[in-house]
Amino acid sequence: MNRLTGKTAVITGGATGIGLAAARRFIEEGAFVFIFGRRQDMLDAAVADLGPHARAVKGSVSDEADLDRLYAAVKAERKTLDIVFANAGAGSPLALGEITARHIDETFDTNVKGTIFTVQKALPLMGEGGSIILTGSSAGTTGAPGFTAYSASKAAVRNLAKTWAEDLKGTGIRVNVLSPGATATELAKAALGEEGQKAYGAMTPLQRMADPSEIAAAAAFLASPDSSFMTASELAVDGGLAQL
Amino acid sequence: MNNHSGQKLAGKIAVITGGSSGIGLATAKRFVDEGAHVVITGRREKELKEAAASIERNVTTVVGDVSRLEDLDRLYAVVKEKHGHIDILFANAGAGTLAPLAVATEAHFDQTFDVNVKGMFFTVQKALPLLKDGGSIILTSSVSNVLGLPGFTAYAASKAAVRNLARGWAKELIDRKIRVNCMSPGAIDTPALATTAGLTPEQVEQAIAQFTTQIPMGRRGMPEEIAAAVVFLASDESSYITGIDLPVDGGMAQG
Repeated sequence: MNRLTGKTAVITGGATGIGLAAARRFIEEGAFVFIFGRRQDMLDAAVADLGPHARAVKGSVSDEADLDRLYAAVKAERKTLDIVFANAGAGSPLALGEITARHIDETFDTNVKGTIFTVQKALPLMGEGGSIILTGSSAGTTGAPGFTAYSASKAAVRNLAKTWAEDLKGTGIRVNVLSPGATATELAKAALGEEGQKAYGAMTPLQRMADPSEIAAAAAFLASPDSSFMTASELAVDGGLAQL
Repeated sequence: MNNHSGQKLAGKIAVITGGSSGIGLATAKRFVDEGAHVVITGRREKELKEAAASIERNVTTVVGDVSRLEDLDRLYAVVKEKHGHIDILFANAGAGTLAPLAVATEAHFDQTFDVNVKGMFFTVQKALPLLKDGGSIILTSSVSNVLGLPGFTAYAASKAAVRNLARGWAKELIDRKIRVNCMSPGAIDTPALATTAGLTPEQVEQAIAQFTTQIPMGRRGMPEEIAAAVVFLASDESSYITGIDLPVDGGMAQG
């Protein structure tokens, strides 16, 4: 049962980490995937790895013209779009007391404004049976010390799905949030080091960080008809971090 | 390259309470399609036999009531003898009948909590010796764990209790790598609403119409759609998920 056979998917933040793992998984399940990211070298490496059912478009979700180019490319090659995984996100720590307007703008431009336009500009290509998945975060529920802007932006993302599920009533398009906890992406591993990874693992009830493929498996569930009666909801893939 | 097109529960042993109709039956069928052997339990022998016949293969039935501890002992004795262990427990049996606050009796309250909370509690406790480390437990809660449900307040409160059982048990069972999650259906097209909720046909129609307006997806769910979500929680696809409440409700309780 290849659940995504013949489907076309867009994955923002698709060149690395969770986005790349999801691209791999979606293709394994039969989809054709457009990955979108800011760095050409990473996109090139990802497409080489993903094979003939992947395309790459370079751009930033906070730039509307870039998103227009992304969807023009999708339309030109595939005409319609079934799955949007609005996954691009940014988050860096800045202690309360040090927070700047620029820091807030950059975080919200990518995580909130970027998510809104990623979805809005996709809709003309989507129809009945479409699935939109937004990447939230356990930090959107729990907060995260030092990550004021990031945590708040992810709480906003969770809220977008609630509104859009109503806005999309009657279209047959579903929208859900996937909220990872601590995930051992290459970037996270490099940033945290061995000790940091251990510390994040120890904070999590399951006592380890997630492998990106585990987040991808949940994304495939939300993308596929297996979640056909789910909309507006949040699926936490967090090892219990924000649940207990 | 991994192959994700195979059966997701090949060779697994699954126990499903409330398995003779509705969500439990649809899930039993889907589990078997995914390669599992299922043991289903329910109170009514005739319905249970018919359910087993419709599942066709890899199914065992044990008649019993989850609110009776001796019935649970018999259930697990059969499972132990036949399979020796359990990989997946879908604690799904539940009951809810109409009883507005002003007229609800003590018997109504006790019956609701006996099945939905006490029954759930001992269904899981008594399964533990047979549950394999790394197994998956799924508890059926309801959107009414967060939504008030006029006329069904004992039911709604019992389902909030179920959601909380999942939190504590997820933590208690972490050392055994057993994941515990809650799954909360919204309005689902099952026989229960018309047959066991204590509603007149008119009330059933009214309830369905009202649900439909409250659901962003504009329709009730089908038992097969719940079954698909339960397979996700039962399988290794959800290996990093524990302690959650998975709403499968067409958006009903999310706004």
